[in-house]
Amino acid sequence: MEFLNQNSLYIVLIITLICWFGIFGYLFSLDKKIKKLEDKINKE
Amino acid sequence: MVFKIILGIGLTLVIIAGIALPMVSNPSSFFELPVVPGLEDKARIIFFHVPTAWVCVIAFITALIYGIQYLRTKEILYDIKSVTAAGLGFLFCILATVTGAIWSKFSWGAFWNWDPRQTSIFVLLLIYGAYFALRSSIEVEEKRASLSAVYSIIAGLTVPFFIFIIPRIVSSLHPDPIINPQGKIHMNPTMLVIFLASLTGFTAVYYWMFNLRVRFSKLMYQQQMKEQE
Amino acid sequence: MNKIFNINSALTIFIKDFRSELRTRYALNALIMFVITTLAIILFAIANEAPSIEISAGILWIVIFFSAMSGMARTFVSEEERGTVMTLHLIAKPSTVFFGKLLFNLILLFLMNIFTVVLYLILIPSFIIKSYDIFLLTIFLGTIGLSAASTIIAAIIAKSNTKGTLYPVLSFPILLPLLMIVIKSTKSALEGIEIAKAMGDFQVMIAYFVVITAVSYLLFDYVWKD
Repeated sequence: MEFLNQNSLYIVLIITLICWFGIFGYLFSLDKKIKKLEDKINKE
Repeated sequence: MVFKIILGIGLTLVIIAGIALPMVSNPSSFFELPVVPGLEDKARIIFFHVPTAWVCVIAFITALIYGIQYLRTKEILYDIKSVTAAGLGFLFCILATVTGAIWSKFSWGAFWNWDPRQTSIFVLLLIYGAYFALRSSIEVEEKRASLSAVYSIIAGLTVPFFIFIIPRIVSSLHPDPIINPQGKIHMNPTMLVIFLASLTGFTAVYYWMFNLRVRFSKLMYQQQMKEQE
Repeated sequence: MNKIFNINSALTIFIKDFRSELRTRYALNALIMFVITTLAIILFAIANEAPSIEISAGILWIVIFFSAMSGMARTFVSEEERGTVMTLHLIAKPSTVFFGKLLFNLILLFLMNIFTVVLYLILIPSFIIKSYDIFLLTIFLGTIGLSAASTIIAAIIAKSNTKGTLYPVLSFPILLPLLMIVIKSTKSALEGIEIAKAMGDFQVMIAYFVVITAVSYLLFDYVWKD
């Protein structure tokens, strides 16, 4: 608990980075999926 | 592809710098941030709260521009772009309101003060909520598109009024606007760099989201058209 | 697009609406009763306590706003309901229709507001006006701004499915800048400030009216056409 109180700023940092990487990864995978669909539709 | 990698790394750095760089009273090196008396560490929220509001304004202005384009050309693609921009603007408006309320809580003690800036952002939520209510109440596609375009133009015109003008003429609890009347920017250079980088990063994320959603809506629309044949 | 409109045609549309409202008087009665009912509810809710200056200024404009919401959509919605939209499309240019309807809403809102203000002065004891010039100018400029914004929004919602509910929802945010200034100005009138000091507020009100009317005029074609 002491450790957490002392370094609370770093805890915030890690949580923010986790959120950001999550969002980034989600956007990235969406991008890939949409690209696949577009290629499929445009090929027809 | 390269841009997205740059964006990923860039915003990561911004987050790390914004949260982890130490705050000292007399910053001597580039890697130290000044202490804001009274706020200290919590001042870091500025790197995240202001960019959300900024992206919100950009999104709503984009919705206005695509609304105008739709009215000029009657191309349904512009309506798709306009509603996507409005949706993202609404999302970032919610984020700005919430982060603002959090800042308000530890700065002035209450989550909501009906301070002009807070009221303005809340009214923006109402305006664009009304926009979506309007859209869902019209079934005919073309009528929906033209009426939404007209409303997004009227609504978009009020955005600069609320975000920029009201806080100037009515006295407010809100901290000094960054671009103040003398035109000088009062921020410490390190903070400025991180702040501008955050602004750019958020704008890039917005643009990426916008791009993805428009492409997706286009695919859905093309699918719909195919099924109707 | 030919943007020159005929003042006579606009006046004709106004007179037609005016005459049909006078003939049936459905709307007029309902609106008068609405104002009376709202004021009665407020009196009941206040229960003999004297509201402060800010509150009484605010409540006045709440009553005016909601009365406008009940009354301003009529010009367009009644056309839809009676099925006369097509005829109007054929015989008049969109801008003519717009100015005719705007004029009608202006006159209607003026009458309603005068009625509301007089009743309000009589019924709410603490509402004592010290600067009549500021107050009258506020009511005048507030009315024209309110009717301008209400008219274009009424045109927009006339084609939707949820007209009555959607109307205040769409109008309030657009009207908020005007309402803020107008309430502030009414407060000044109650406090007895000289008119010279309130000039800034009046400039904003005039600007609001001009901007909204100009934008509505430009956009009305797109709302009106099928």
